[in-house]
Amino acid sequence: MAPAAAADPLSVTFGALADPTRRAILARLAESDATVNELAALAPSISLQAVSKHLQVLERAGLVTRGRIARQRPAHLRAEPIADATAWLAHYRRFYEESLDRLGEHLGRLQGS
Amino acid sequence: MVELEFARTYAAPRQLVWDAWTDPDQMALWWGPRGVTTPRESIEIDLRPGGRIRFEMVDDATGVRYPNSGTVVEVDPPSRLVYSDDGFPDGSGKGTATITFVEVDERTTTLRVHIVADFTDDVRAGAERGWGSQLDKLAELLAGD
Repeated sequence: MAPAAAADPLSVTFGALADPTRRAILARLAESDATVNELAALAPSISLQAVSKHLQVLERAGLVTRGRIARQRPAHLRAEPIADATAWLAHYRRFYEESLDRLGEHLGRLQGS
Repeated sequence: MVELEFARTYAAPRQLVWDAWTDPDQMALWWGPRGVTTPRESIEIDLRPGGRIRFEMVDDATGVRYPNSGTVVEVDPPSRLVYSDDGFPDGSGKGTATITFVEVDERTTTLRVHIVADFTDDVRAGAERGWGSQLDKLAELLAGD
């Protein structure tokens, strides 16, 4: 994977969101801040090391910030990159969905229906 | 990069759908979301590999014009068209579109639009909204229809 600094912000966001464990972590953080231990408790199969690695990816993507409380360093969800990614996708989808609707209407008119 | 796919099935012969997509006279009648017009005189399509595509979309409400350009990569009438999108002058928004016209029967066509897109850095709309519903919305958008 290319260094995050070389990629544009939305690519980094989508890359970070492309993993189900990371999405589960974000969904948990959407409820409240949580420590690595609390996040590891989400799934019995996931190790503390794995959670830490996922948090690093999310942190690099700007999706998560870490607190400064001693060893706990609770993770906190940052909304802005998700909102940007959502806005971009919504814009793109609307463009094509409505164009394809209009194409259907055009084809209907062409055939006199 | 992100990939998006759209599919529609139209009650129309494949050749008709192909022509509607590739003929500038017809493209002017439907291209763009609602509230946007693509004036016929702005459209140039050189339908061969390496050929240039140019058009402008005009926001009906504001009159703001959005120039677009791209290059034909592959053309195989009436079944497949691939073209690149140059994106914006700052180099963002580039992508490639693959349009596939599948003949279901002689008067039914399934159109598939596959987009591989880069991103713009300046998409900020909605950033100020609360993020609570954003994860749900994102999941819906990624899941498609």
